[in-house]
Amino acid sequence: MNSLKMDFLSSDALISRSSMEKVSMIVERVKNGDLVVIEGGLSPEEEAELIETTMREIDIENFVGIDIYTLEKDKVSLFGLSKKKIVGLTIIGPANIMKTVKKKSNFISMIANIGDTGASMR
Amino acid sequence: MQSIFRRFLNRLLGKDKKLKIGLYGHPNSGKTTLANTMTNDWLGKPLGLTSEIPHETRKVYKQERVSINHNGVELDFDIIDTPGIATKIDYKNFLKYGLSEVEAKERAKEATKGIIEAIKWLDDVTGVLLVIDATKDPLTQANITIIGNLEARKIPFVIVANKIDIPEATPERITSVFPQHTVVPISALHGENTGNLYDAMVKRFK
Ligand SMILES: Nc1nc2c(ncn2[C@@H]2O[C@H](COP(=O)(O)OP(=O)(O)O)[C@@H](O)[C@H]2O)c(=O)[nH]1
Ligand SMILES: [Mg+2]
Repeated sequence: MNSLKMDFLSSDALISRSSMEKVSMIVERVKNGDLVVIEGGLSPEEEAELIETTMREIDIENFVGIDIYTLEKDKVSLFGLSKKKIVGLTIIGPANIMKTVKKKSNFISMIANIGDTGASMR
Repeated sequence: MQSIFRRFLNRLLGKDKKLKIGLYGHPNSGKTTLANTMTNDWLGKPLGLTSEIPHETRKVYKQERVSINHNGVELDFDIIDTPGIATKIDYKNFLKYGLSEVEAKERAKEATKGIIEAIKWLDDVTGVLLVIDATKDPLTQANITIIGNLEARKIPFVIVANKIDIPEATPERITSVFPQHTVVPISALHGENTGNLYDAMVKRFK
């Protein structure tokens, strides 16, 4: 089936979930072949857990893992003294379909390779 | 005879006389060479790991975990090719190296376990050295990802700009792209400037 399902989740939809729930929700969808776009980012602990869960779920034949991309934005502090980058969007998808990704600091362009079921990435 | 570098080790060691260092970086950046140089400087004997033949396109995940015990001091190293702290593992990558399909799948499975272990290993790490080949472009996705991860998990790290003995090396480029981090230019192969690196480790890993 040559189609790609994309799920967009607002930060509100995630805030009430535990890290474990978040991670398993993401992995479940991505393992299913879906692309998940999240408003905001994952915490370092969640990211580590996401990688760990992904590693457990890799089944060599069908699921080779995930790709994660983030789009950052400036967060200006209260008095505008320091500028810090925060994650605005997180894009997580199956590694074998996220083919070409162009990334600049404020721009991501992605070509999903949905025809190819065989996992072929670098 | 005690190496002049031994004092760095003493300052880095906690009361449990144990030091746990992660060496991350692209294949061929010089991690194995640096680990050998460090143990040589500190303990007077090499780690006994051998560098592979340089291979531009070496992409297979590789991880070595070694411990050395000497005079009651324990040094633990986890040496990981950064593309190896991956979020994906494709057994087909292993096929290129003359492995059979069954072997390749076995290796891929091991790699997934290795990554899980690497994540856990980081929990009580003293600090991490991110080794970058100063003759190469430092702004790779893998380098950026690992730096982001280390920052986020508040794991102390030093960026090593390696291979400065090569005329084309531009360690200043690494300093300029990572201005907020400690970057130390060295030659792991010739032991050049390693004292500065140990100094930086003492400062950052405390
Ligand atoms: N010229 C030069 N070569 C180095 C240096 N450090 C490592 N190498 C060489 O680079 C190659 C890869 O080194 P290695 O330590 O195996 O890299 P690893 O894959 O990161 O473990 C070997 O041929 C080393 O001899 C250095 O400081 N200068
Ligand atoms: Mg090596």
